[in-house]
Amino acid sequence: MDIFRMGHDIWGRPVLEGVSWDLIAVAAAVGAIVIIAHALYRLLRGKPQGE
Amino acid sequence: MAIPADSLGTLAEPPQRSVRHAGIDRLFHWFTALTVLTLMATGLLPHLGMPFDWIEVHWIAGLALVALTVFHILRALFWQHFRTIWFGAAERNKYSVAQKLMHHAMALMVLAAVCTGLLMLKKISTPFLARDPYFLAMSTWGIVYVIHGLAALAAVTLVIIHIYFALIPENRRYLRAMVYGWMTRS
Repeated sequence: MDIFRMGHDIWGRPVLEGVSWDLIAVAAAVGAIVIIAHALYRLLRGKPQGE
Repeated sequence: MAIPADSLGTLAEPPQRSVRHAGIDRLFHWFTALTVLTLMATGLLPHLGMPFDWIEVHWIAGLALVALTVFHILRALFWQHFRTIWFGAAERNKYSVAQKLMHHAMALMVLAAVCTGLLMLKKISTPFLARDPYFLAMSTWGIVYVIHGLAALAAVTLVIIHIYFALIPENRRYLRAMVYGWMTRS
């Protein structure tokens, strides 16, 4: 998986074009991991009372 | 000693609700949410296999986010207690540490996105700004694109986390406060 998108200028030299769009899935996965970790934490310590 | 009946009423039923967010701040929050979600949809969906004509909606929503950001900074500086969002003294406990961290992460993401987004307006044709893609060197544009992309990726993670913590039962009073303005004291 690439971190960056690279292109070339008119002389054929590599130029930075931005972050790789493959990382969208990684960003979503990080969010999902935080949710799962917190949900497990709630489960293990006992669910707090809501309103 | 006789106590007036209306005083008894006040003692028996102390006010249970306190105002947490003024109407204008709730409007700001929900307009910002709408704008950020629009920017994420128009900026990311074309790269996820859903191509459409996104650029015009994206830059208009981006300018709306710039306006909302400027409004929020001015309101926080001159009309609100700016220090309540920072870490420290006891009088600053309106927000939890987690809420402050989320605010600062969102603030960093939005500032990075709007600053780079404003520069990127020079790459497209708009009614008020002449297009000039040579405004910056190619290598500098690359850095601008990377920062804008990182802000977009951070938005994905932060929005997922923000919505999750807004919806869990123990935080429902904060969600209600962002809808109706008030929360119970208990």
